[in-house]
Amino acid sequence: MPEIDLTALGEARKMVGFSQKKIELSGHTVAELLRAIGTLDGENLYEKLVCQGKLRGDYAVLVNGLSVKPDQLDMEVKQGDQVVTMAILRHLHGG
Amino acid sequence: MATAVTPSVTRGDGQWLPSTCGMCLHGCGIQVYVEDGVALKIEGDPTNPDNLGKLCPKGNAGLSRLYDPARVLKPLKRTNPVKRAGVDPGWVEIEWDEAMDIVARELGKIRKDDPRKLLVAIGDFQRILFWGWPAVFGSPNFFTSLGNYCGGSYHPVNGSVDGSFAAINDYERCNYWIQIGSGDGFSSHLHVSGSSKRMADARMRGMKLVVLDPRLSTAAAKADEWIPIVPGTDRAFVLGMAHVLVHELDRYDREFLRQRTNAPYLVGEDGFFVRDEKGRVLVWNERENHSGAWDEVPADCVALLGSFEINGKKVRTGFQVWKDILATHTPEAMSQVCTVPAEAIRRIAREFVDAARIGSTIELEGKTYPFRPAALNYYRGSQSHSNGLFDNMTYKLFNMLVGNIDVPGGHLGVPLDTRGFFVSPGESGQLKPEPHQLHPAPPFKYPPDSTHLMEWFPIGFDAGQLNTETILSPERFGLKYQPEAMMLYHSNPIWNMPETDKVEEIMRRMKFVVAIDIHLTESTQWADIFLPDRTYLESTLLNCLEPPVVTGHSVRQPVVEPLGDTRDAYEILTDLAQRMGFLDNWNDLLNIVCGFAFNTRYLLEPSKRYSVEEIYDRFAHSIYGDDKGLEWFKKQGHTYRPRTAKEAFEPYGNLRIPFYFEFIKQTGAELEKQLKAHGVNDWPLENYLPLPFWKPSQVIEDGKKGYDLYAITFKDVIHTFGDTVVMTWLTEVSEKDPIHQGILINSKTAKKLGVETGEKIRLVSPGGRIEGRAQVVEGIHPQVVGISNSITREYVTNDKVNYKGSHFNRLLTGSLRYTDGATGGLESTARVRLEKVSY
Repeated sequence: MPEIDLTALGEARKMVGFSQKKIELSGHTVAELLRAIGTLDGENLYEKLVCQGKLRGDYAVLVNGLSVKPDQLDMEVKQGDQVVTMAILRHLHGG
Repeated sequence: MATAVTPSVTRGDGQWLPSTCGMCLHGCGIQVYVEDGVALKIEGDPTNPDNLGKLCPKGNAGLSRLYDPARVLKPLKRTNPVKRAGVDPGWVEIEWDEAMDIVARELGKIRKDDPRKLLVAIGDFQRILFWGWPAVFGSPNFFTSLGNYCGGSYHPVNGSVDGSFAAINDYERCNYWIQIGSGDGFSSHLHVSGSSKRMADARMRGMKLVVLDPRLSTAAAKADEWIPIVPGTDRAFVLGMAHVLVHELDRYDREFLRQRTNAPYLVGEDGFFVRDEKGRVLVWNERENHSGAWDEVPADCVALLGSFEINGKKVRTGFQVWKDILATHTPEAMSQVCTVPAEAIRRIAREFVDAARIGSTIELEGKTYPFRPAALNYYRGSQSHSNGLFDNMTYKLFNMLVGNIDVPGGHLGVPLDTRGFFVSPGESGQLKPEPHQLHPAPPFKYPPDSTHLMEWFPIGFDAGQLNTETILSPERFGLKYQPEAMMLYHSNPIWNMPETDKVEEIMRRMKFVVAIDIHLTESTQWADIFLPDRTYLESTLLNCLEPPVVTGHSVRQPVVEPLGDTRDAYEILTDLAQRMGFLDNWNDLLNIVCGFAFNTRYLLEPSKRYSVEEIYDRFAHSIYGDDKGLEWFKKQGHTYRPRTAKEAFEPYGNLRIPFYFEFIKQTGAELEKQLKAHGVNDWPLENYLPLPFWKPSQVIEDGKKGYDLYAITFKDVIHTFGDTVVMTWLTEVSEKDPIHQGILINSKTAKKLGVETGEKIRLVSPGGRIEGRAQVVEGIHPQVVGISNSITREYVTNDKVNYKGSHFNRLLTGSLRYTDGATGGLESTARVRLEKVSY
């Protein structure tokens, strides 16, 4: 089973209750990883971050620094991968 | 890569230290001569590729900010509870602990009650990484009190066309440059120090420069041709030129429009694209005379022009729709609007398309690109108007007519930072529009969370001017709360915003105001606590070397020991986050905006407090690897590399850029549905249109009510925003220049009104009134009066700076009627009548 280094930032950290953790994953995809991470309210990250099979527009998942596209939740994750989940910032504006 | 700084001058036993200028937002490379701990001289860093060793007057005068005797060097507490303009706050100096306790206590109460009740006005563009502090506090209510004046409509259109933030013509290869309402290459906007050199070089090699401006600006004075124009009518001039190209000369880049844009996409009578059952946009196959999906009709068969019928319904190509619109925009008709003679419109259009060399190519780095050495450049004066969306669309479309978007010689997008253009595939082969470069579009919400109604501007920017309207009339917008506290972060909204009286009124209503700044200003007079920041010569930062010329970073470092008892703004914001219990959120935000989330080796721990040096050391390492940390930058100054042709040109690749802005129409239709569902029926939706045309703005209407003149403001290279107007060295310069000594009025107009130089006059607009001394000049349009920003400050703490007091913004109106309803862009021109003031 691959071991994934997971980091949760911002709202995602509040959902899961930790900042960094090693996750032993029985599957091999981003979707399976998100389902494997329980949230404090008894659900899992997949239920929180995914809507109609696509990653919600206000959240990002990075695998080794690369953004997972909304419809690429079947992307493979493997041993030692660094995965970050985070909210995309809403209120940064300027001119 | 950079080489060590080579000082041009060496004196005594001191040393030259590399750093980055902070006198405006662009961050030129500097070197500072320091002897015995005292900074004695600032020069441009000759090794910095952005400013090429040049430095503008502001940068040269930086020492007068550092050593300004009027600087605040210790935290201040207000003792006079009465808050009014001109009232002495009764400042007393206090210790940092006491000041931070008070701020954390007062803001902490707000945060516990409803964090949206904190309203934050932000400046300090170079430290944009910190702009998210209000968001992690929990408030959506932060706005730059500067940006809406300039880029409210500009940035969303750049982002939509090619994923850029700004744009500039190709200095190196352009041969015919039309400049409208901009100081690029002369006095302002993108990297003026280096750009002045680039512009001078271009003119030396024979580039023709045509400048449209109501006033004989520096650019106009240096141009081959100055065309005075009525403010806010530049679009009419360009629409007239587009008419000439499309209807009279029949000269435009058909291949670019057909293959690189969505101009051939078919549009139905409802204004939306026509799609097949799979959702693919249709084009017309002119060889076989039928429609087909955009990706199924061979490229050489796609019709660019034409009206057709599909299933009994009329359709036209997007290009045909604009051509039909342009039919009425003849030079004669547009001349009536903008006052430029029709023959001049025709001549400039002809010269432009001649110079564009449509069909020519150039080889760069082994690849062949289209070569279009003619381009139209524009900025604040030409598009900061209440129909700014149409202004910006018009200028982009005019450039597209000659196929010069992001090709050598042409009109080049400038990405936000070193990440480059935000380019990704959208629908039906189009580039995905990115009108929001700094954050995703805020989702619609009713009632809105933000007092500047960002939830109702899905393609808009930052309509900070609307704060007054919403806070003073919350019921009109369904706002269920009122801001009770304000943070002024290097921001002076009373000076920066329109309708000064109303801004003062909302500040009067605040229960608590905290300011982080260097000087006392018109706005910080209303603060309860003033927290003194350090100047750019005493603080730390890694600054992005601005594209499009190069990519890289330069360092800002303390060149002297910080004066007094001041603190770096980062340390202030971090301390407040810690005291109020959201240090973890703050660190998470920095993890995201500094890019540490993309390189987890440098992630900040949620509960640990980091110094500003630690943040930028990680920032440097995360981008440049193990061998380049903050210490490396402090010694070397900067690292950079030229952007490659592949990075700079045709960033859209095979994706089509929008000629027909259908997504804007779609966005407006969706917003209308959402607003109506909540009973909001009076929101200005009329600008959500896919193509621009001439539409008079509110200021044109105001002219029918007896306000016969136009009032504009302008700045010279000597000043930026309002900050520098209180600096002695710079005001000594500007006070000697006649254009900064009074209200500019054309000699013919002055004669007609019986006004002479030095005479006291009053300008009255629908929004307010100001008084000042007349300055009769030749170099301004007869229908226009001009007010330099050098004479606008009303509150000056340095007794060596003379009171000026003709605050232009008092003439402006900040309401929705004077705002572009789609972009939030502010109208920056006022109609006025002139009155003589009798004694």
